[in-house]
Amino acid sequence: MNVLSKYTMGKYCMAAIIMMSLSGCVTSTVQQIRETQTSMTDGDSVVILGRRNRPSQAEAELDFIDCVAKNVGSGNNGLQVVSEQQFVDALFPWFEPRTAPLNTNELPELLQQPLLAERLRQIGLKYLVWVEGSTQRSAQSGSLSCTATPGGAGCFGFLTWDSDSSYEASIWDTHTAKTAGRVSTDASGTSYIPAIVIPIPIIARVQSSACNGLANQLKQFVQSG
Amino acid sequence: MNTYQGTPTCTLPLLLKRSLLCVFLGMLLSGCVAVKKVKIEGVFPIPVMPKTPIHLGIHLDDELLNYTHKESIDKYGDWEISIGPVQQALFTNLSHGVFQEFTMVKENASAEVDGVLKPNISEVQLSLPNQTRSNYYEVWIRYKFELFDRSGNLVGDWVLPAYGKSNKNNYGSSSKGLQAAAIAASRDAMAFFSINFAREPVVAKWLGAGMPLVPAKIVPAKKIPAKIDPAKTVPAEVLATEQNSKQQDSVQENSIPTPSLGTPPKTDGKQTDTPQTGEDSA
Repeated sequence: MNVLSKYTMGKYCMAAIIMMSLSGCVTSTVQQIRETQTSMTDGDSVVILGRRNRPSQAEAELDFIDCVAKNVGSGNNGLQVVSEQQFVDALFPWFEPRTAPLNTNELPELLQQPLLAERLRQIGLKYLVWVEGSTQRSAQSGSLSCTATPGGAGCFGFLTWDSDSSYEASIWDTHTAKTAGRVSTDASGTSYIPAIVIPIPIIARVQSSACNGLANQLKQFVQSG
Repeated sequence: MNTYQGTPTCTLPLLLKRSLLCVFLGMLLSGCVAVKKVKIEGVFPIPVMPKTPIHLGIHLDDELLNYTHKESIDKYGDWEISIGPVQQALFTNLSHGVFQEFTMVKENASAEVDGVLKPNISEVQLSLPNQTRSNYYEVWIRYKFELFDRSGNLVGDWVLPAYGKSNKNNYGSSSKGLQAAAIAASRDAMAFFSINFAREPVVAKWLGAGMPLVPAKIVPAKKIPAKIDPAKTVPAEVLATEQNSKQQDSVQENSIPTPSLGTPPKTDGKQTDTPQTGEDSA
């Protein structure tokens, strides 16, 4: 029994290792432009917000914003991150799609409101990061068909597609009401699903790669300026 | 003697097949005609802003609290969005943030408040991503706000269009997507209302005048057609005077009341409940 369970465990581990090794290749680049010096002290926090002022193809997905916020807040050099929903609720109605400031010129007027300034002080907000961009699937080709009969089921074919992620984060310093800089990330990769009876997905985790790249660069940007 | 010797193994699958087919067809048909219901739920935040110095009554009538928008979209079925039930929570939190003091009232008149605000939803529209060939579920809500003085006379009204959208990539189903768009539209209405309430021309004039009582609307008496009697014709000068006074009445009915039409601004923080006419204040 013990041997069997070990054997089963081994099979699952092997399957997991194979699946992980079957991830498609992703090419990613990260760039940054610094405009002012940055630093973080104890009690300072950042918020990662998606730009949602108008319907556009470049509106970042909610899970991407969550992913960046989670990665910026984790690890050895993790920052204190306020969640997007918590932030927009705490500062309602000033960061809604129709009312949010579109550039740093609008910040001083906003921060002059005593109640708002007090709320920001309570949160300890130092940097406000606006993220724009999206992941798009492009150039899909091939075909895959699956059939189920009383005798069994199986798939046959080959499917491939390219994915491109492009995101840009604009970092605003709420203390100086100026843009501290910009960080952008681009990632692309090709995913495949060959199928001879069993389909084997080889997925390029493009969005995940873009998220990690952007989050790591953001952490470095605000801490080592 | 005829005896039926059919084997049960042959008849049972047939029955099963038929019943399964019926169930499948039933599910298919019900899927075609089912109304997709969306209910707006959630907690709305309290606005962070300087409060308007006013004690306002908020009148949410049953029409608003039970408001449901029904729309049949070609190829995409029937939709039903229940917007009414969330209005109570929405306006309670909104009022906490925007007004110095507020009271939920049952009528348009209340002697305990400075005025009464009555919100209505006049129109709702929605669109699905496939209709607009975009990634977005979209919801438009058109609110109409009526402001009454404490005697229940209409001070003025204004329209507030609100818009909400949600990206289809963030939601697994169209119901969830539309729900998110409707919540976004409600938040948009709250945001826009709270920032612009005191700037709204109707409100700004009324607040600037010290929240006066406005004259009651003059309802014209029914005209009874009568035979023209040359002996009783009205002289031209009198007719001209009457016409002028009618024009003035209509201006008073349609325009925003000016300070000269109501009571003078508050001096001691209290107002009288006696309705006053234009002559009194003049």
